[in-house]
Amino acid sequence: MKLIGVDVGGTFTDLVLVETESGESTVHKVPTTPHDPSEGVLTGVSELCELAGVSPAAVDHVLHGTTTATNAVLEHDGAVTGLITNEGFRDVLHIGRHQRPQHYSIRQEIPWQDRPLVKRRHRKTVGGRIAPPGVELAPLDEAAVATAARELAEAGVEAIAICFLFSYLDPSHEARAKAIVEAEAPGVFVTTSSTVSPQFREFERFTTTAMNAFIGPKVRDYVSRLESRLSEAGFAADLHIMGSNGGAATARMVSELPVLTLLSGPAAGIIGGAWAGALSGRSNLITFDVGGTSADIGIVREGAFAEASARDTSIAGFPVLAPMIDIHTIGAGGGSIAHVDAAGGFKVGPRSAGAVPGPAAYGRGGTQPTVTDANVALGRLDPRAFLGGAMSLDVEASRRVVGELAEQLGMSLEETADGILAVVNANMANAVRSRTVQKGLDPRAFSLMAFGGGGPLQAVDVAAILGIPEVIVPPAPGITSAVGLTATDMKYDLVRTAFVTSADADAGALEALLAEMQAELASRLAADGFAPDEMRFERAGDLRYVGQGYELRCAFPGAALDAPAMQAIFADFTAQHRREYGRVNDTPIEIVNVRVRGVGAMPVLEKPAPPAGGSLEAAHLHDAEIAFRTGGAMTRMTTPVYRRDRLPLDTVIEGPALITQKDTTSMLRPGDSLVADAGGNLLIRVAQKG
Amino acid sequence: MTSSTTSRASTIDPISASVIQGALQSIAVEMGYKLMRMSYSSIIRESEDFGAALTDAQGRQIAESMQSTPLQSGPIAGYVQNVLETLEARGDRVNPGDVILHNDPYGGASHGPDFAFLVPVFRDEQLVGFAATTAHHLDVGAQTPGSAGIVEAIDVYAEGLQFKAIKVRDRGVDNAAVWQILRDNVRAPKLVVGDMEAQIAACEIGAERFGALIDEHGRDRVEAAVDALMDHSEAMMRQAIAALPDGVYKAETKLDGFLDDPERRHYTLAVTLTVKGDEIHVDLTGTSPQCDDRPINMPYVGTTDIAIWLTLRSVLLDSAVHGIIPQNSGLTRPITIFAPKGCLANPSFPAPVIARFTGGNGLADTVMKALAQCAPQQVSAGIGNLKVIAFSGLTSGEHWVHMEIFEGAYGGRFGMDGMDAVDTLYANTRNNPIEDIESHLPLRVTRYELNEGVTGPGKWRGGFGSIRGFEFLADGGGSVEGEGHEFRPWGFQGGGQGGTASLTSISPEGRASSLPSKVPYRAAKKGETFVATGPAGGGYGNPFERDPQAVLDDVLDGLLSAEQARADYGVVIASGALDAAATDAARKGAA
Repeated sequence: MKLIGVDVGGTFTDLVLVETESGESTVHKVPTTPHDPSEGVLTGVSELCELAGVSPAAVDHVLHGTTTATNAVLEHDGAVTGLITNEGFRDVLHIGRHQRPQHYSIRQEIPWQDRPLVKRRHRKTVGGRIAPPGVELAPLDEAAVATAARELAEAGVEAIAICFLFSYLDPSHEARAKAIVEAEAPGVFVTTSSTVSPQFREFERFTTTAMNAFIGPKVRDYVSRLESRLSEAGFAADLHIMGSNGGAATARMVSELPVLTLLSGPAAGIIGGAWAGALSGRSNLITFDVGGTSADIGIVREGAFAEASARDTSIAGFPVLAPMIDIHTIGAGGGSIAHVDAAGGFKVGPRSAGAVPGPAAYGRGGTQPTVTDANVALGRLDPRAFLGGAMSLDVEASRRVVGELAEQLGMSLEETADGILAVVNANMANAVRSRTVQKGLDPRAFSLMAFGGGGPLQAVDVAAILGIPEVIVPPAPGITSAVGLTATDMKYDLVRTAFVTSADADAGALEALLAEMQAELASRLAADGFAPDEMRFERAGDLRYVGQGYELRCAFPGAALDAPAMQAIFADFTAQHRREYGRVNDTPIEIVNVRVRGVGAMPVLEKPAPPAGGSLEAAHLHDAEIAFRTGGAMTRMTTPVYRRDRLPLDTVIEGPALITQKDTTSMLRPGDSLVADAGGNLLIRVAQKG
Repeated sequence: MTSSTTSRASTIDPISASVIQGALQSIAVEMGYKLMRMSYSSIIRESEDFGAALTDAQGRQIAESMQSTPLQSGPIAGYVQNVLETLEARGDRVNPGDVILHNDPYGGASHGPDFAFLVPVFRDEQLVGFAATTAHHLDVGAQTPGSAGIVEAIDVYAEGLQFKAIKVRDRGVDNAAVWQILRDNVRAPKLVVGDMEAQIAACEIGAERFGALIDEHGRDRVEAAVDALMDHSEAMMRQAIAALPDGVYKAETKLDGFLDDPERRHYTLAVTLTVKGDEIHVDLTGTSPQCDDRPINMPYVGTTDIAIWLTLRSVLLDSAVHGIIPQNSGLTRPITIFAPKGCLANPSFPAPVIARFTGGNGLADTVMKALAQCAPQQVSAGIGNLKVIAFSGLTSGEHWVHMEIFEGAYGGRFGMDGMDAVDTLYANTRNNPIEDIESHLPLRVTRYELNEGVTGPGKWRGGFGSIRGFEFLADGGGSVEGEGHEFRPWGFQGGGQGGTASLTSISPEGRASSLPSKVPYRAAKKGETFVATGPAGGGYGNPFERDPQAVLDDVLDGLLSAEQARADYGVVIASGALDAAATDAARKGAA
């Protein structure tokens, strides 16, 4: 089968075409067209097919990572949105949790008050109320719903969110209201909170639903435009879109639930990292994706990635209750600016020089020292071989701006450049600790999978801080997300709030609920064309001790739930609680939510044939003088620079060394060593401290 | 006021200092994150009424958790210092393996429900610091259920159990007797003890990480980095103060006190703020004498000092303007405070203090009112104060207690309207989801909306308050501590005053009765509803200069009526549209 992965980034649209049986791939990059990204996508896929010598009609699937939804939220550029909610609760979206985002600020803005997804004039209330455990206190006032719908349509509203309290217990009021709204206000995008995210916590659920409405028309239009453009260009393939949960969904599904795609791009990166790790038989990975302004960190254990806790997921300051891969993003990247603040403190980031003006080394007017400039000043980015020679570097400019900072600090230029890297690496290591050590995971049991333009350059230093023994650089570090798109399955998630405890849990009732959810997913996958043997279901629950407010995710067994299975689930929760918090309690355990994920297996991407392999002599470009810290001092050392594509396979290369390729530079310090393996990865053994 | 030893900051380079500081910050964050996730009672896990911090061996705060509420993390330094003094006076000392419990209202805690647990960190048999957590507990064995709304205690003994530097674990050995005393003397002991265990677990994690950091970098370098961190915060504060014009700025605030008690109503908070060079002196002379037998007094350490520091820091080093500036003891070095002994803001033992929460927030607002005169573009107009209600009852012989904080609102700001219906100043907790409350307690939330029509008019208007209703689904009771029922938040530079708060009880038969801002425990019948209306913030600037479009938006949003637009703002709106000519005329006529 032929798959195309298209990842739209801020600057570039990355593309890859893979032949699943042979594992052969063709890659391409075109500029992103921000006014309408589908233009760039279309240019890209057409050119890609030409490069690969494949007819568009022969492509089986196009998998797409899109930032359309994300950008609509970040730029607050969505539809005029209305809300229909319970009488007496017009301002749940506005009051939120009544907490200010910042403790120590008078002049702060509150995202949901200063940039509301739904203006108050478009928030309508109607009679009707459900209460626990799912009883109807007051019937839905259907006439009021119809009036509200007409008024909103007359006010020019393009999307309507229907959000009622306790709809996760009984969705009937929302479903009925939706039918009325669709009849009264045809053409308006309508969405309900029990469809978007049927779980408790009204502010978070209503916000997620309002966001789905806010971005709905835009994403729907984008997807349909892209579909028709592809079809006009001769593509017959299905369009699939990457979700934040690490799985693809059909274009139709995403048109209804665009809120599921908010972390589409970074999620694809983690999957790409996991896929590349598997090429070398590595299944425990910390993915480390460093770009110009930020670094994304993800955890892969036994080939599976962690999902963020529902209470930790947000975008642009708004909480989002949608399944998302746990990706920890920090404001540290190649463009992060080093500076001394007003009171003499030394800082790196989160301010970034971005793409424009960029680091001083890029010669586009950057005048402040960045992480990239520190690397240039130390010789770690080689002007003769940067991006495989595709871009020049202004070494003098880097030395000048780092030198100015050095003067301010009263330190030497090299000590200052090394200091910039020390601070940014320490920040990155702290971020990795928050997802490993703080969760009871030992980072030394993982490999650091480094990609993005900047990952392979910082990776060994960060790994050494954490005691991580191995760094892996995948075959194409600059397009890992696009590759990840082609390696993903279709994934749909369902969640229901259960609220049963270890004291009163009825395995039979829970099994019935899970089976019902599973049947719903099976019919959804069948509608997408998956045969029963291509479907897989994963069950899980969110558990806590009764009385706690935060849950831990526990995997449920695949077989039907019975009493012993329940005991095993509670035992798993106890073990996780001990690992993460260092203690367990003797109180009852509550199953708050149950979850089922339906997976439709996509064609398996075979390992590509091993690269041809070259020789050290053929790979050796030249030597560079690079400064490393040895003993306590900075020392310039003669360091060979190699071309990655000519490295011999399975030959140990001792550091110091620089490995350059079109999309990144990998660095080895003295003491580190590397082999290029038959899987296509660079495997770097990291010299440990002490 | 903070005596600092000679700074060792100069012995470390700025880069190493930055690396160590980042690690310290992430330890404090982890402590707070875990405490919140492990704890049972909603006042900690949802409202986030807890604190987590690291201190050095002298009790100076090094780093605090980002989630915790300022009134909890801020006082930790005061707790630790008082524990050290108390142990020394008793001839005892801190040993490795100790876990110390402290809630002395006159020794840092400032009211009994805020229990601190301290875990010391030792290296080479030397005490190097503490990992500490504080949290507001549901019940501490006071005269009526809950630990809020206790407004009738006559001294601190009536407010519940007092623990003064008690080692619940002594050199690794648990003191079972203390735990048993606790279980036997608090209502809802499972929740309370579970939360305490969570506090200790979070401290232990912090202490372990703090120790590992010292092992990695060496004690001298960590201490030097800590000094550099505090010096840095101090320098930031001094620069901000130096930018203010020197002078003496005064402000006063009236508090309700007990509105239904002629002898104990109306208290005054008085602030004289002197800016001189890069230092500020805050003098509270003129503040009412303490109330000897009702618990609205504010202990100096832990409430008064924190309220003042918090306000100065939030205005002068506003994080929306200056970015995140590490919160530590260095920030307070340029600030001195005088509060006459025996006044409401510096009471003498054993005057009762458990309900000092809203008075302290009023003091914070008073400091801002004084500061407004020298930093007018950095403040907000008058801020609406808060209210806490403790709902309680007995279900099958076991107590349930639920504490809910009712939000205030901010005044208008230069260029910005006030924040609507939020926690204010030194409190920054969260409400409880309606869907959590009704799933776990015999309570129903009947309404939660903005209170339309009430705000301080201004060029930038005050924030709107909320209306929230709670119905009892079973017999129970409630007690209330609040403020702001009588005096309206101040307007600034021509802006109008904000709105007062109120509280109404509606009987099962539908009879409404108005309640004062402080209500001692009263029984509530099944079907009774409490409706709390929050205050609205004061206005900033002349309302007749407000952008007419912004007034129209408020009318379209149902927050103001067209009549209010005309009367308060001189803006004429007809059929949902602006009448520009009539507006011009109305505004000229008023000028």
